Amino acid sequence: MGISDVIPVPVAVDKEIENWTIFGQPVVEVWFTTTEKVHEIIEMSPIKNIFNWGRKNSVYFLMQPMGCCGVEMFVFGAAPYDCTRFGCMPRNTPRQCDVMIISGYITRKYLPVIKNLWEQMVEPKWVIAIGECAISGGPFYDSYNIIQNTADYFPIDVFIPGCPPRPEQFLEGLMALQEKIKERKDKRGY
Amino acid sequence: MTTASDVLSSIQSAFPGAVLESKVESDRRLWATIDSSKIVDVCKHLTEKLAFDHYSGAAGVDWIARNEMEVVQIMTSHGAHQVVAMLKSKTPREKPTIKSLANLYWNANWYEREIWEMFGINFEGHPGLYPLLLGDDLVGAWPWRKDFKGYPDLTTGKRAVERPTADGYTEYFIPPTPAEIEAGTVPIKLKYPSYREREEAEIKSDAEMIMHMGPQHAMLPGPFLLDILVEGERVHKAFLDLGYIHKGIEKIMENRSWLQGITYTDRMCYVASLTNNECYCGAVEKILGVEVPERAQYIRVILEELSRIQSHLIGTGEFLTLIAGVGYAPWNFMIIDRERIISMIESVTGARLTHTFVRFGGARNDLPEGFADKCRDALKYIESRTKEYIELFNQDPIYHMRMEDVGALSAETAKRVGISGPPLRAAGVAYDMRKEDPILAYPDLDFKVITGTKGDCADRVDVRLREILESVHIIEQCLDRIPSGPIMTETKVPKKIPAGEAYYRVEDPRGEMGMYVISDGGDKPYRVKVRGPFYATLQTLPPLLEGVYIADVVAIAGSMDGCPSEADR
Repeated sequence: MGISDVIPVPVAVDKEIENWTIFGQPVVEVWFTTTEKVHEIIEMSPIKNIFNWGRKNSVYFLMQPMGCCGVEMFVFGAAPYDCTRFGCMPRNTPRQCDVMIISGYITRKYLPVIKNLWEQMVEPKWVIAIGECAISGGPFYDSYNIIQNTADYFPIDVFIPGCPPRPEQFLEGLMALQEKIKERKDKRGY
Repeated sequence: MTTASDVLSSIQSAFPGAVLESKVESDRRLWATIDSSKIVDVCKHLTEKLAFDHYSGAAGVDWIARNEMEVVQIMTSHGAHQVVAMLKSKTPREKPTIKSLANLYWNANWYEREIWEMFGINFEGHPGLYPLLLGDDLVGAWPWRKDFKGYPDLTTGKRAVERPTADGYTEYFIPPTPAEIEAGTVPIKLKYPSYREREEAEIKSDAEMIMHMGPQHAMLPGPFLLDILVEGERVHKAFLDLGYIHKGIEKIMENRSWLQGITYTDRMCYVASLTNNECYCGAVEKILGVEVPERAQYIRVILEELSRIQSHLIGTGEFLTLIAGVGYAPWNFMIIDRERIISMIESVTGARLTHTFVRFGGARNDLPEGFADKCRDALKYIESRTKEYIELFNQDPIYHMRMEDVGALSAETAKRVGISGPPLRAAGVAYDMRKEDPILAYPDLDFKVITGTKGDCADRVDVRLREILESVHIIEQCLDRIPSGPIMTETKVPKKIPAGEAYYRVEDPRGEMGMYVISDGGDKPYRVKVRGPFYATLQTLPPLLEGVYIADVVAIAGSMDGCPSEADR
């Protein structure tokens, strides 16, 4: 939507103003603007970095133990490894979460449920796949009930291999995700 | 004391001609093939006359070469004697049908449902044969039959597709491949009411509604679905659905070598993987007739007891976060304590959770240098902490108001529903596999079976905490007595295990765990049936929840110390 749709613009505009730009956009276009336009500008501007700095330091994850990695996830969330110092906390409902940790095998019966949980999470959101099972099916690769292609259903940003990975690896994966968010290299491009 | 041969002669005299084949393996194991028309009467006779009051489970076996199916009923007693009767009944492979025991034993219900959905054996007179573990798309494929074509071709990689439903949701559908359609292995759609229809049929008035707890819920240690039918704050009925993490381990193990199977037992219940290892390896050792060297026995006992301590700690900690009365702090304390134990186990096995440590006829490696001293230090610490926890709970009046008489199970009911482990012992029944079916070095060790009195939530937690102290006592004895010597047997374990079968029981942190292993002389198991403790415990959950407040649902479910992975397998 251009400015002329909202307010009739005087025909005689200073030629020099027409040449002015802000973040590559003509100033006249931005002058009287819509919310969408503001968003567009934020997307392109360094302000985005401030947003992502905030996002990266408050990644709350969904407590959803699914397999062996779920037990290590408990430990990762508790005092000995203390993920809270990285701004990462376990939450019990998907509506308060930023990160979904797929901590195990996804079965045929569980796939619709976990997809539903993913859709219930508010944006911005990220996924971490933990363990061999979540990456490729792991030791259960030829089971009749396991989904192997997890990455086809979820935009997974970080894979943490291991069977199960140690809590230290969880921390490293978390920091890798934070780096990705900061560098704006995550799958969904926030 | 009743022995296996007494039981056999009693059956033979009461039902002449009913026993087709029999084998008395030892004083404690009886294998018998019973005429399938008389199986119900024989079981009734055992229960009424010979004190077989514990229906422990049932296993289906598909004998494709003999063109018949077999259902094995596992019957034991709650301490009256130690005989385990394995009663087989046969049925032809075409239209397999067998009489149901669900009207005789309440807990036969789920075992028979599982056999029905996996093997397609129909149970006459069963109150409701609905799928329990499988999703609707796999029912009718009978995946555990030996001729299940889907394995391993029916792996789901790249095949699930999204499609919109009539009500605007998205569902995931796995279309059959052309090869499957041609081979005729496409699952036949059976007609039965779905889980949701079944639970909605129970709604009697407008004041009632269904509340979903799960598959993802703060209360659950893993995904399973617990639905409660509530009126106001009261629960009228509860429904359970399993299979959200059903991996088909029993089927996968049939397609792996004997040694590879150990890694799968690790992943059955990942907080008690050492006892699972022990159960599988013990069964195979029994078939082989291998004697475990004494040092290896002690090493295995030490590690299994350490594993029990860490499992009880994480279970109790989880329970405390759920009831939220004592708060989040004890959870962190218990995890910190658990790390001490985990690091002890790790120093021996090299892994935190999935150890694959126990081997056929011994253990993988020896204790490291200086283990005994470090272990004694850790145990001293755990002992003092556990005493602190027990004192903390005993002194807290709010905790007692909240937990006492909640979810109480009487000894009589607990025996009848087939529950085992701490929930059973809390009800006052001293039933522990370490005493009932002693293995390894347990007969030489001095320990007592911890029991409670009331069988409520507070008692279950108390039993668990006092069991930690008992385990500490056991490990200390082991560290004092452990002899030197080899850790593996002299006899070489062959790649192909000789034909035979064995049923082996161990005391899991959650209760009685048994594995029924059959070998046909090949390099892979013919069948591995796992009788998990939490499967039985979960079955008792719905009736236990009837009539309680919503707030107590979480407390009762949490006090059972769950591991849904082992229930689903």
